Amino acid sequence: MRGARSLLRLGLAMGAFLVLVAVIGPTVAPYDPAAPVAPQLAEPLPPAAPFYLGTDDLGRDVLSRLLYGARISLLVGVVAMAVTMVIGTAIGLGAGYFGGGVDVVLMRITDVMLAFPGLLLAVALVAVLRPSVWTIFVVIGLVSWTGVARVIRSEVLSLRERDFVLAARALGARHGRILRRHVLVNVVPTILVIAALSTSGTILLDAGLSFLGIGVPPPTSTWGRMIQEATAYYRVAPWLMLFPGAAVLYAVLTFNFIAYGLAGDGRAPGA
Amino acid sequence: MRYLIGRLLWALLILVGTTAITFAIVFLVPGDPARVVAGPRADAATIASIRRELALDLPVPVQYGRYVARLVRGDLGRSYATREPVAEILARRLPSTALLAATGLGIAIVIGLAGGLVTAPLAGTWVDRAALVSSLALLSAPVFWLGMLALYYVGYRWRLLPLGGAGDVRHLVLPALVLGSGTGVYYARLLHTNLVGVLGADYVRAARARGASELRVVAVHALRNASLPLLTVIGLDFAALLNGVVLTETVFHWPGLGRLAFDAVLSLDVPVIMGTVLLSAFLVVASNLAIDLLYRVVDPRIRLG
Amino acid sequence: MRTTATVVAAATRHAALLLLAVLLGGCTQDRLEWPTREPGSRRGGVLRLAAGDDVPTLDPALGYDTRSWFFEQHLFETLVAYDERAALVPALAERWELSADGRRYRFTLRPQAVFSDGTPLTATDAVGSIERVLEPRTRSQGAEYFRGIVGAPAFVDGSAAHVAGLRAPEPAVVEIELAEPDPLFLHKLALLFAAVVPAERARRLGDDFTTQPIGSGPFVLREWRRSERIVLARNPRYHDSERPYLDGIVEQLGVNPELSWLMFESGELDVTSIPPADFPAVMRDPARAALTIHATALETMFVGLNCEMPPLDDRRVRQALNYAVNKADVITLLNGRGVEAHGIVPPNMPGYHVELAGYPYDPQKARALLAEAGHADGFATEIWIQGTDTDMKIAQKLQQDLIKVGVQLAIKSVAWASFLEAIRQPKTVPVFDLGWSADFPDPSNFLDVLFHSGGANNHPFYSNPAVDRLLEQARTVLDETARFRIDAEAERQIVDDAPIIFLYHPITYVMHDPRVHDYVIHPFLPARVTDVWTDPE
Repeated sequence: MRGARSLLRLGLAMGAFLVLVAVIGPTVAPYDPAAPVAPQLAEPLPPAAPFYLGTDDLGRDVLSRLLYGARISLLVGVVAMAVTMVIGTAIGLGAGYFGGGVDVVLMRITDVMLAFPGLLLAVALVAVLRPSVWTIFVVIGLVSWTGVARVIRSEVLSLRERDFVLAARALGARHGRILRRHVLVNVVPTILVIAALSTSGTILLDAGLSFLGIGVPPPTSTWGRMIQEATAYYRVAPWLMLFPGAAVLYAVLTFNFIAYGLAGDGRAPGA
Repeated sequence: MRYLIGRLLWALLILVGTTAITFAIVFLVPGDPARVVAGPRADAATIASIRRELALDLPVPVQYGRYVARLVRGDLGRSYATREPVAEILARRLPSTALLAATGLGIAIVIGLAGGLVTAPLAGTWVDRAALVSSLALLSAPVFWLGMLALYYVGYRWRLLPLGGAGDVRHLVLPALVLGSGTGVYYARLLHTNLVGVLGADYVRAARARGASELRVVAVHALRNASLPLLTVIGLDFAALLNGVVLTETVFHWPGLGRLAFDAVLSLDVPVIMGTVLLSAFLVVASNLAIDLLYRVVDPRIRLG
Repeated sequence: MRTTATVVAAATRHAALLLLAVLLGGCTQDRLEWPTREPGSRRGGVLRLAAGDDVPTLDPALGYDTRSWFFEQHLFETLVAYDERAALVPALAERWELSADGRRYRFTLRPQAVFSDGTPLTATDAVGSIERVLEPRTRSQGAEYFRGIVGAPAFVDGSAAHVAGLRAPEPAVVEIELAEPDPLFLHKLALLFAAVVPAERARRLGDDFTTQPIGSGPFVLREWRRSERIVLARNPRYHDSERPYLDGIVEQLGVNPELSWLMFESGELDVTSIPPADFPAVMRDPARAALTIHATALETMFVGLNCEMPPLDDRRVRQALNYAVNKADVITLLNGRGVEAHGIVPPNMPGYHVELAGYPYDPQKARALLAEAGHADGFATEIWIQGTDTDMKIAQKLQQDLIKVGVQLAIKSVAWASFLEAIRQPKTVPVFDLGWSADFPDPSNFLDVLFHSGGANNHPFYSNPAVDRLLEQARTVLDETARFRIDAEAERQIVDDAPIIFLYHPITYVMHDPRVHDYVIHPFLPARVTDVWTDPE
C-alpha cells in the first residue's frame, strides 16, 4: 500500500543519514568529546558559536559528544538486536516447528523469563558481569528475546500446517532441510519487521540503562548517559537534555518507521 | 476446572523457579551482604559476627531452603538495610506502584480505544497518516526523557503540577500520563489495524444492510472481534509496564516498588530483592491467568490448554 | 449473551471503583497541631526540613550514617558530648574521674535523670546500652569500639552473661574498666552507639525499638510515616527547662534535592542544601548569599592507589599522579565547595597542626617522575567508582587530567555492595574513588584506620613499618600534644609515600529561611537544632 511504502522509504532515508553520522561523525566533530573545551567549568554554556549546541558542566562540547554518541548508540542497538534475534528466533523456531514437549518446555522457559522484572534482571546481570560494551550487548539481548520468540513461534505454528511443509514431510525430508528451505524462508519477512522493531526497543533499553547509571561507562558519551548527566541541570540548562533526547527519538523513530513500513498498511507489527 | 488447577500448579512452579534463579543470581553478584550490612568502617570481627547472625556463612542451597521454609510460613524476612519486615515495606509501596501502573494502563486503554475508534474509519486519509507518524514519534521517545520534559515545562516553567514525589491526585497526573501515553498510542494503532480489517468483513456489512446505526456497528460488532488481540497485548504488556514503572518512578521520585527494587539490587539487600521479585512474578503470573480466563468468558469458542 | 463491549464496560467500572478506593485510602498529609506561641518568647515554632531518603533507623546501636545520627542525637543522650568547638563536655554524666593507671573510669550521672516517658534513667541503663551494642544478636556496627572493655570478648563469644568491666555500683554511678589505657575512650563514649537507652525496653522490643524509641534527649518521636515524613516534638521532661526552643521538627521524606530547593524557594522549607546548578546564582546574589551557612567538614576525599599493583607499587608513579591532577579545577567543578587537601588529616582537626606542602599541580614534574620510573610513554589503568553524580564528575575530570601526562584512565562504575567487596580484595582494584569522614576528632581516626598496615580500611594496601611504629607509639601516649607530634611525623611520611591522590576536604553549604536563627553546621556531626529559634509567624 502506498502509505506503507512511503513510510518505509522515509525510515530508510532516516536510517541512511543515521549511519552516515555514525560513520563520519567523529571525523567532523569540532572537539574532543571528553576534553574540557569551554572557558569555564561547572557552569554549562547555552548554544552559541563556537559551541553550537552548548557545553556541559565538565566543559565538554555537546555537539561533539552527540556525534560520537551516534556511533556507540547505533552499534549497541544493532548488536543487541542481533543477540535478541538469534536467541528469540532459535527458540521460536524450535517451539513452533517441533511442537509438543519441546514447545511446552521452551514456552515455560519463556514464561519464567517474562515473570522476571526485565530491568531488574538487567541491573543484576550488569552487577555480576561488570559494566562494559560487551556486557550491555548480552544483557539487553537476554532481557528482550521473549517477545521475538512468541511472534516467531506463532508464525511457524501456522506455517507448519501448510501444504508445502506437509508435503515435504511426507516425502521424507529431514527437519533441518525443511526448516531451512521452507519454514525459514517464509518467516524472513516477519523476521525483518521484528528485527527493525527490536532495534528500536534495544536503543530505548540501552538509553534507559544508561539513564539508570549502568550503561556503557565513560568517556564514551552515549545519549542515555548524556540525558542522565543533564538531570541535575534541567532547570538552568535544559538544552543539555533536549538534544540527546531528540537524538534518541530520531534513531528509534527511524527503526519504527522501517518496521511499520515493512509490516504494511500502517499495521502494528506483531499484531 | 482441570484446566484451572493445571494453570495454578504451573503458576506455582514459575514462582518457585523465579525465586530460585533470583537467589542464585544474587549470590553470583560480587559482593558480600554481610559486609554491606556491616558498613564500610567495620572491622573483620564485626563482619564475621554479622555474617553468622544472618546465617550467610551457610551454603547457598541451605540458605535457600531456609528462605523457602520461612516463606511458606508467611515470613518474608527483614530488610538488611532498615530491619523493617519486608512484607510491611512491600505493603507500603505496592499501592503506590499499583496506583501508578493502573492509572497508566487506564490512560493507555482510553487513548487506545479513542485513538483506534477515531482513526479506523478514516483509514487511508492524510489524517490517518499524520496520526500514524505522530503516534510513532510518541512511541519512540524515551519515557524518562518525556518525563523530564514534562517536569520541566509543566512543573517548573508553568507551575501547573507538582514537581514529583507523591501526595494527592495532582502528583499522579504527570507520571501516569507519561507512563501510559506511549503504550496508549501503540494500542490505538493495534486497534486501528484490527478494526480496519474487521470493518470490511461480511457480517459487518450485513449489519449495516440491516439498518444498524454506524455507532452500533462499530461499537458492538467490530469492537468485539477487534479487541481480543488487544486483550492479549495488554496481558503481555503488564510485564513491560513494570519496566516502564522503574524509569518513571526514578524521574518523578514516585515512592513505589520499582525504585525500591532497583536500590535493593545495588545494595544487595537480599530479603528485599527476593520480596520484590516474588511479588512482581506473582503479579505477572496472576495477570496472565486472569487474561486467559477472561478470554474464556469473552469467547467460549476458544479452546485453551 | 455477554458481548465484549459489556464485559469491557463492566471491567472498566470495577477498575474505576478500585482506583477510587485506592486514591481515597491513599496518603493525604494530615495537618499537625502545635501549641500556640507566647508573644515575645523564643519558644515555639516548627523547623521544616526535607530529605531524599527515609531514615534508616532510630536505634542508636544500629545507626552509622548522618541521617540516623541527626535524629538519634535529638532523641537520646550520651555520657559525654561535644560542644561547638569539638571539645568533650559533660552530658548525661555531670563529672568523671580517671584512675592513675588510665584504665578505670568513674562517671557520676546527672541527678534525677529521666527518660521522656518518666522512667528513671539509671546506671543500669547506661551499662545495658553498651552491652546491647556488644551483643552479637544486635548486629551493631559499633561493637568494635567497646571491645577494649574488660570482659567484652567473653561476653561476645557467649561465655559470660555480662561484661565484667561495665559496672553500676550505685544508681547514678557507672564504672568502666579497660584492658589497656585508651586516650580515645571518651571520644568513643561520645559516639551515638553509646547513647543511653532504657535497657530493659530495648531488649524487649529488639528490632522494633527503632520505631518506638524512648530516650532522654531534647525531643521525642511524635510520628514516623515511613518514606513520607518524620516528626519530632519537644521532650517535656528534658533536663534543660529553656531549650529546645522549637516545638518540633518536621522532615518530609522522599524529596529529592531539586524538589527540596524549589520547596525552599516557595517558602515551604526552612533549611535546604543547594543544588550545584543553582549554586553560582545564589552566591552571586548578596541577599541570598547572606542566608547561606557553610563549614569545612572533618572529611577528606581522595583517590586510593593500590600500592601492591604495578605500576602503582612505585612511589614515583604515585607521586606523579598526584602532581598530574589539577585539584583547583576539581574544586571548581564542585562550585568551589572544597578546600585543597595537602595531607590526609583535615586542617580543622582541633589541636592538630602540621605543615605540609602537598602536591601542587605540576604536569611537567609528573611526566618527569613517570619517565624516571620507566613509564615515559604512560600506561593504562582503571578507576573504580560508586556511580554517584559527584564520583562520575570527578572521575571524568581525572580522566581529562591524566591523559595529558600519558596515563589512560578507564572508568568502572560499580554498585556500592560490589565496590565495598572489591576494594578489600588484594590486587583487584588499582585505583578507586573514596572518602573518609571522622567519627571523632582525632588524627588516629584517619591515620591508623587508613594507613596502618593492619588498618580496617587500608584499601590502598599501604605498608610502611616506620609509619606503623610511629602510629603504635602514638597510641600509648596520653598527653595530647606529644601524641599529635608523633602523628604529624607519621603523616609527613605518609604524604611522601603518596598511597593516595589527596583531593579535597568538602565544605558543606546550606541555606536557611530568614526566620530561622542560630542554625549551625558541625564539622563532623549532623546539625543539632537544640539552640535554634524561629521568628513568630
